[in-house]
Amino acid sequence: MADRVNTPTRSFDALYRDSARDIYAYVRTLLGDDAAAEDVTAAAFERAFRRRASFDARRGSERAWVFAIARNAALDELRRRRRSAPLLAELADETAPAPDEEADLAVRRTTVRAALAALPPRDRELVALKFHGGLTNAELAAVLGTSESNAGTRLHRAVTKLREACHAPS
Amino acid sequence: MRRRDPLTPAARRELDALDRALAGEPVDDALHELEALVRDVRASAPQMRPDFAERLERELAGGFAGAAPAAPPARRRRRPRRTLMLSTAGTVAAALAALVVVLGQGSQQEPSQLARPETPQAPSGARERGGGQAVGAQADRATADPATSAAPPMAGGAIAPQPPASVAPGAPRRVERSADLVLETPASRLRRTADDVVRTVDRFGGIVASSTTAADDRGGDATFDLRIPAARLDDALAALSRLGHVAERRQSLQDITASLGSLRDRLADARAERRTLLRALGRATTRAQIDSLRARLRITRSTISRLNGDLASLRRRAELARVAVTVRGVERETGGGGWSPRDALGDAARILEVMAGVAVVALAVAVPLGLLGAALAFGARGLRRRGRERALDPA
Repeated sequence: MADRVNTPTRSFDALYRDSARDIYAYVRTLLGDDAAAEDVTAAAFERAFRRRASFDARRGSERAWVFAIARNAALDELRRRRRSAPLLAELADETAPAPDEEADLAVRRTTVRAALAALPPRDRELVALKFHGGLTNAELAAVLGTSESNAGTRLHRAVTKLREACHAPS
Repeated sequence: MRRRDPLTPAARRELDALDRALAGEPVDDALHELEALVRDVRASAPQMRPDFAERLERELAGGFAGAAPAAPPARRRRRPRRTLMLSTAGTVAAALAALVVVLGQGSQQEPSQLARPETPQAPSGARERGGGQAVGAQADRATADPATSAAPPMAGGAIAPQPPASVAPGAPRRVERSADLVLETPASRLRRTADDVVRTVDRFGGIVASSTTAADDRGGDATFDLRIPAARLDDALAALSRLGHVAERRQSLQDITASLGSLRDRLADARAERRTLLRALGRATTRAQIDSLRARLRITRSTISRLNGDLASLRRRAELARVAVTVRGVERETGGGGWSPRDALGDAARILEVMAGVAVVALAVAVPLGLLGAALAFGARGLRRRGRERALDPA
């Protein structure tokens, strides 16, 4: 009986497959730590699975809902550690361009990673939710608990900063 | 710190381009840089380690062992039911509140609103009819003039007989009708009954010449001086009698045929005199004769005018019956005896009134408390969120 109740439903399974990697990327960007990102991602999905009955489609998409759970878990983890995520150091190793990549592409991506790491944590989170999570502005607003227009304004500001940082002389 | 800058058209265009780039759709050449940015940021997205991905898959397949099972579907179905119950309760409370307002309206009306003074159509001396008399003796009814036999038999009252008028045989008789009615009603219904009196008068095309209401919780009374078309008096009295317990009802008739005849005769005489005076004036030769005749003509014209007024007034008295209604509020419903369905209805209405009052008081307490609770919950949620988000601020 318990097995039957605990078997993931088809929709939750689909939600997991659709969002697990994006959530990990977002959480990892926020925490800057592989182990912590894995723990938080697993905890977020466990929490979402446990609370799947409380999902209310009128309040937003399933994807926004699971991202909000992951965000809370990540922020709780950050609060526990009480430190901001050092993003650049660990990103550099795992996403370094392949040796056969063109040199200018490698340079450009290194620049982008550096610019991303230099962003304030709140802006970096917005960029991660948008670029890694692929959330719409409405979903972004639901995750951040703000209005869609405010979410759009904040996102635009963060992207502008990222673009400026990319063009800044190193 | 949240800023509430509105999005400029350029910013909106850039955000649209960003969405298109994220969706893999082409972007304007001017914003081509965004496309590259999306590509580069996504390329630098952290990737799950394969062993973690496998572990997570296993945990998912195992239903996150240790995680509490999701609430059974039945529990989810209860939510709309609970919402439905809440909205039903709200509707009932609102209906009860509306009932209180409606029922309470009667007791909140001021006497000035209740009274509908109108210009009396009948002359002010309606109560001072010289020959008018209301005789309570039942025996008098037997001797009443045949012209009064159209009046229905009265409860507790009698028809006043009139002396035969000295009119030409076969001439239509004119009568002035009046009635006095005393109704008793529970004190709590006094104002409502008074309103019903006014409505009944309106229905029969009558007017309220004057009215006064003096009511309190323990009783009081309302008095009305009404004018009702004589042709509809019987129906109107029947309708008025249904508004409460009839404690007293009297009707009287006054034959004004002779008075009318007398007035007409005097008017004819005055007109004849005027004609004579006019002829004499035509024949007058001296200044003194002319002045004297003109003076008499003035007097005659004045007499004709007064007689015309009296005649019109008398006719109106024949057309509009005077009805004096008194509604008394008594502490206990009269009628004695058993508990009738009407009593039951009254009690039911009273119970509903009390329940509605209780509901209103409860709402008056619950609504502010609920709003306060909601505001506190909202504030606590905001504080919790801000507390979490402080983790994003530099240490």
